[in-house]
Amino acid sequence: MNKINAFAKRNFLEIIRDPLSYIFCLGFPLVMLVVMTLVNESIPAEAGMTVFRIDNLAGGIAFFGLTFVMLFTSLSIAKDRSGAFLVRLYATPMKSGDFIAGYILPMGILAVIQVVISLIFSYIVSLIVGVSINPLGLLLAVVALLPTMILLVSFGLFFGTLFNEKSAPGLCSIIISLGSFLGGVFFDAESTGGVLLNICNVLPFFHGVKAARMACALDFSGDFFIHLAITAGYALVVLVLSIVVFKNKMRADLK
Amino acid sequence: MNAIETRKLTKRYKTKTAVSELDLTVNEGELFALLGVNGAGKTTTVRMLSCLSEPTSGECFVCGKSCIKEPQAVKEIIDISPQDTAVADNLTVFENLRLICGIYGYSKEKTTAKIEEMITLFNMDEVRNSRSKTLSGGWKRKLSIAMALISEPKVLFLDEPTLGLDVLARRDLWSVVEELKGKITIVLTTHHMEEAEHLADRIAIMLEGQIAALGTLAELEELSGKQGLEESFVAIAEKYGKKAAR
Ligand SMILES: Nc1ncnc2c1ncn2[C@@H]1O[C@H](COP(=O)(O)OP(=O)(O)OP(=O)(O)O)[C@@H](O)[C@H]1O
Ligand SMILES: [Mg+2]
Repeated sequence: MNKINAFAKRNFLEIIRDPLSYIFCLGFPLVMLVVMTLVNESIPAEAGMTVFRIDNLAGGIAFFGLTFVMLFTSLSIAKDRSGAFLVRLYATPMKSGDFIAGYILPMGILAVIQVVISLIFSYIVSLIVGVSINPLGLLLAVVALLPTMILLVSFGLFFGTLFNEKSAPGLCSIIISLGSFLGGVFFDAESTGGVLLNICNVLPFFHGVKAARMACALDFSGDFFIHLAITAGYALVVLVLSIVVFKNKMRADLK
Repeated sequence: MNAIETRKLTKRYKTKTAVSELDLTVNEGELFALLGVNGAGKTTTVRMLSCLSEPTSGECFVCGKSCIKEPQAVKEIIDISPQDTAVADNLTVFENLRLICGIYGYSKEKTTAKIEEMITLFNMDEVRNSRSKTLSGGWKRKLSIAMALISEPKVLFLDEPTLGLDVLARRDLWSVVEELKGKITIVLTTHHMEEAEHLADRIAIMLEGQIAALGTLAELEELSGKQGLEESFVAIAEKYGKKAAR
């Protein structure tokens, strides 16, 4: 536990001391929140389009922010792997599990902080534009986003392990744009329907966003748990996959 | 018991044999220098001894423990300062040292005491709260070595510890290494003749993955019939080159 603790603390400090993480993980999503709210204000009420209304947007933007946590996870792992620092730790009694836990834990904590801040911001916006959101719903949205956090941090571990610091961010940005688009953050997937909705339904992102939105609305019908379960299933698969990949890569590095 | 023992230790890469059938013993408490030109196989040897690279064939033991069969036990008793400085950039000097203490599971008291000990030994007080990415190369290297030493290794590997240091910083580091002499076993790689001459109890001249000559400075001078390590090194390398050519 000592080892994991010490290494996790280091990874946490490395990220929060990097000014870029604030720009991407906080600044960018919050700007999008404001922009999309402005977009929403200019949509005529008759259009009946509510995806960009703050009560719907809150969960989507929280998800969008999380995709940057994935980016930073992959970046910090890829950077470590390219330098001599990780090599020196390989010569200590740390085992692969200690490394994995030491990367995942602090990123998980950052993910929670990220979501909490972005939901608080959404709440403030909701007060300004006069749309009511139940604060309890926002609190439950944090819980509903837990599987998504695991999913995205695991993706970060996966890309950071397999690719170098130049290609990992590129691959992550595919997930960032695909994920937030097919997650239905920036378009109304449900009323669009058709093939696009089918694709959204196959992937985990839409379900993660939907679970967060339903939690915000305190709508815990059967669908909520289905969305949650699908996201959790994907999260588990990607987590296991990334752990296997890291262990194999570490073994190969020590060949 | 020998601190280090290798038997026909070999590392082959696809097109290149980096280390070839190396037989080596290093005594406990000895400061042993691996001296060789670029590409001689020094780093590869150190990597195999510190369980960072698996030998292609042969065996190596640290304090009687096999690097191949018991890497975990070996890792408990060694530490390495890699050829490239290896520090966490966004952590301060203090935090970097504390990280290693945490990895080795030291108590709070021991952590504080060890950090102070290292900061004193390496004269790092003025930079203790500086982020390591803001340090000069010399400070970084000192920190990197202090991070290896703080884990109280029985065997310490220093891969080109004075690489990129100016004359004064090098002297400075030499005096730290001299203070450690006799207390722990140190394997140091270098291509600086004066460094090996100044610090080492015994010197192995490594050429093309093999040991061309091994002994104290006096023994190497006698073997080559030359004065000083540089002259002896050149003579031994030439003789070795001729032998290899035949
Ligand atoms: N991963 C690798 N793959 C292929 N060849 C390698 C690898 N690592 C080292 N080598 C080769 O093995 C030989 C020995 O390299 P090594 O790094 O051990 O030399 P060295 O004595 O430490 O040199 P230097 O003084 O430049 O650090 C070199 O020819 C190098 O190119
Ligand atoms: Mg080297």
